[in-house]
Parts: sequence; structure tokens; C-alpha cells
Amino acid sequence: MKDLIRIRSLISAQVETLLNQQVKKEAYSSSVYLAMASWCNRNGFDFSSDYFFKQAEEEREHQLKFYKYILDMGGNAISPDVSGIKQEYNSFREVFEDALDQEVSVTQSIKNIYAQCLKEQDYVTNEFLNWFLKEQREEEYKARRALELFEVIGEEGTGRWEIDKHVGKIKYDSEA
Amino acid sequence: MVTTLTTPQTNTWVDVFATKKGAVYQSDAERCWYVDFAGKVARFDYRCLLKLKKAVYNVDIEAKLLETTKDPDVEIIFICACDHTYILTLLQIIALKEILEGTFVMLQLNQILQDRLYRIAV
Repeated sequence: MKDLIRIRSLISAQVETLLNQQVKKEAYSSSVYLAMASWCNRNGFDFSSDYFFKQAEEEREHQLKFYKYILDMGGNAISPDVSGIKQEYNSFREVFEDALDQEVSVTQSIKNIYAQCLKEQDYVTNEFLNWFLKEQREEEYKARRALELFEVIGEEGTGRWEIDKHVGKIKYDSEA
Repeated sequence: MVTTLTTPQTNTWVDVFATKKGAVYQSDAERCWYVDFAGKVARFDYRCLLKLKKAVYNVDIEAKLLETTKDPDVEIIFICACDHTYILTLLQIIALKEILEGTFVMLQLNQILQDRLYRIAV
């Protein structure tokens, strides 16, 4: 008897479900960053607004990477519903706290898919996920560094203006 | 094209899993499965079989059993972009679920066997 399921798809139904959940997570992240960009712009933090616009773009690219991978492997990629995006923030700092939370949650979620792939010996998907693991180093670093600016610069006086200026300059260029 | 037969063509199909209530066969030539259940033999390709599984697994049998309303005890299994629809009683749902569970275990076992026998270099 032919193994019809394996012929049709490289990834298992379980990995496919997890990858589709990740597509949704990345789409959600992209929308959250867009809301952050709007809030920052409305409140005069233009550099941070630009930073979040860029982040939103990146998350969208990640979403498409997952989406196309599912399709290329013979799976069914599902275009996600995204709702419940927080539009208002109580403070400038809260925006960055939420951004870091978001990145941590994405990292954990990718680790979870990685664990499932190891369990199934799906090394092909693991190899695909390696790129994202490396990317998360950068994403978490940037989000953590932004929060750090609140500590080292301080919010008093022109502090927030100074923080905003520096957010645009955050870079991660580790070659390791 | 709707393919519904009344009797299984067991000479060209391979048994995947069967109970007293029904059976699932695989046709290697057509790359599909035939589900013999509720008085018909229906053809399912890979995507539709997965959709059927999802639709049947999503029926909350326990909730249906505990329901005290006088609504008829009937569930419609409609699968988007698939040629077949099932209108089943709760007992039939339980029977179909059993068949599908067995089917997917057998398909998984087949994958393991194929891996061990033909795909992995010893």
C-alpha cells in the first residue's frame, strides 16, 4: 500500500497546525507593531514610530516565510483572522514593555515548534526554523535594548525625547 | 465528479481499516481513499479525508449525549469543496469516528513501515 499522505506532504498534520498557528502569531505581531507605530506617531515619538513601522514590515515578512513554507511542503496554509489589537497605551514605556513581551512570546512559540519537529525527526523543518531562531536573537536584543534606554537615560525632563532619538539607532550586528 | 458506489471494489483496493459498521479502502492507482459507510462508498482525496476527519472529530459527542432538548439527534457532516455530505445520527458519528481513528493509525503505521522497509538505508 502506497504511503499517500507522505507523498502529498513533507510535514505532518501536527507540524502543519503549529506552523499555521505561527503564521497567525506573526500576523498578530505585525498588527500590534502597526498599532504601536500609530500611538508613537500620535504622541510625538517619530523615531519610535518609524522603528515600529519597520518592525511591522519584518513581522509580515516572517509571516509570509512561514506561509510559503507550508505551501511548498504540500500543506494547507491558512490566512489568519487577526483581531483584538490593543490601540492605546498608558505610557511611552508601556509600548516597549509590550513589544518585548511580544518578542518573547514569538521566541517561545518557535521553540515549541522546534521541539515538536525534533520529536518527529522532521529535520527539514528544523533547518527552516534555524533562520527564525537567529532572527529572534536580534528581535529580543532590540526590544530589550529599547527598554534599557529608559533605565540609562531616564524619563525625566527631556528624557523621553532623548530615548525616542536613540530608539531609531538601535542595531544588532553580532556575527556570531 | 461525484464518485459514489454501492459496493467496494475490493480487487483493486487495499483494506486500511474496517469495523462491523464500515470500512476505509485505499486505491493506490487513483491515489485516494474510499469510505464505505452509511450505505454508500464515497471517494476522498487527501485533503478531503483530512477535512472529514476534522469535521467528525469536532462533533462534541459528550455534549450531544447530555443535551435534553427535543431536537432530532442528527448531525450534518458537510465538507467544504468536497462532493460528499453525511447526515448521521449520534451513534453513526461514534461509529465513523472509530473508523477514522483506526484509519489514521493504520496510515501512520504504513508510513513507519515504508520508512523502515524501503526509505531508510540499513
